[in-house]
Amino acid sequence: MAKEIGGYVKLQVKGGQANPAPPIGPALGSKGLNIMEFCKQFNGRTQDKMGMVLPVVITFYKDKSFDFVIKTPPAAILLMEAAKIKKASDQPNRVKVGSVTWEQVRQIAETKMPDLNCFTVESGMKQIAGTARSMGVTIKGKAPWATEKK
Amino acid sequence: MNHIELNLTLSPEYAEILMAELAEMGYESFVETDTGLDAYIPESDFSEEKLQETLARYQPVAPVRFSWQVLEKKNWNAEWESNYAPIEVGDAVRVRALFHEPDARFRHELVITPKMSFGTGHHETTWLVMNEQLSLPHAGRAVLDVGCGTGILAILARKLGAADLLAFDIEEWAVENTRENFSLNEATEQSEVFQGTIDDVPFDQRFGGILANINRNILLNEVPRYAQHLLPGGWLVVSGFYEIDAPDIIAKAESSGLSYKRMNTRNQWAMVVFEK
Repeated sequence: MAKEIGGYVKLQVKGGQANPAPPIGPALGSKGLNIMEFCKQFNGRTQDKMGMVLPVVITFYKDKSFDFVIKTPPAAILLMEAAKIKKASDQPNRVKVGSVTWEQVRQIAETKMPDLNCFTVESGMKQIAGTARSMGVTIKGKAPWATEKK
Repeated sequence: MNHIELNLTLSPEYAEILMAELAEMGYESFVETDTGLDAYIPESDFSEEKLQETLARYQPVAPVRFSWQVLEKKNWNAEWESNYAPIEVGDAVRVRALFHEPDARFRHELVITPKMSFGTGHHETTWLVMNEQLSLPHAGRAVLDVGCGTGILAILARKLGAADLLAFDIEEWAVENTRENFSLNEATEQSEVFQGTIDDVPFDQRFGGILANINRNILLNEVPRYAQHLLPGGWLVVSGFYEIDAPDIIAKAESSGLSYKRMNTRNQWAMVVFEK
């Protein structure tokens, strides 16, 4: 028989760095889950993404067991990494803080496809480009679909 | 260590961007809320001045309101710890809490009060290492426990005859907890526990056995150091990584002068033993 779900906890945690401090500690501890078990598993599964913010959705069950799914990093994190910047622009329309290529936007869209609410890489790229605009990150060259329409 | 909880109210479009910036500033984890974002950082790393500077830059495009509070260190795992089930390793070892009745059928009973530290035997890696310890020579040896957590592996080493114990962990609460568990298990004599890393172990100190249940990246970095601290004939037990990562760790150990002895796995978690 399937286990009865008690609920869900959604957090954003740096890869390889989960520890029992807040918010993980109080969020899981209050449900009676073994926090240390979660930290060991999360850190074990994210050794190749050390320090990168990763959304994680934890499903906990009435019997105090749990499992979890690690999602792809937020687009803003991937854009900052691609553009090699540490800050977004305070005037994104006027002051640009960095740039990425359309190829990088494609790679980010492809990475994020499982979690994006869209069906094609092209529409994923448009979402990523929107986040880049809000950050003051320019995208070099012409959008691939602009070329295709010629 | 206390933590700061920062509550931010801002439009969802910018919450993700601000999260990326805060992560660069040392904020460790985040929770998206209906009104924005909560962010968490150790109190010692928190600077209100830096935060104000960052948030001020957002005001023209995305007005941000914020407040913060100190969350005092406490044992968040207390509820699970208050009724955890005992763990058996083979028919020789039982790990239990103070509130469990002793069971004389087991040769070694370990009493562990974890207090938010890792190592109760419930996790596959702890179980694998303890199970392996039962077949390794401990009598009269000096044993090092790297990343000791509750101190459970060092305590079993003592019960199996280890003469000297040295244990360390980077986490303050794990160090306190290991000391407490050493006391509960009569393992305080010829034992030392400190907060730190392998770099704090004197260069010329040698051990007959080293136990390291940590993670892939730390092991890949530190296995050569463990090899250097082993006496000829000494053993190294490593765990805390998945089976898929074992070949890299084995290669690193072999290039550090260690001989592979055997591997065991449980639910894809791995444990490997080497000898010098």
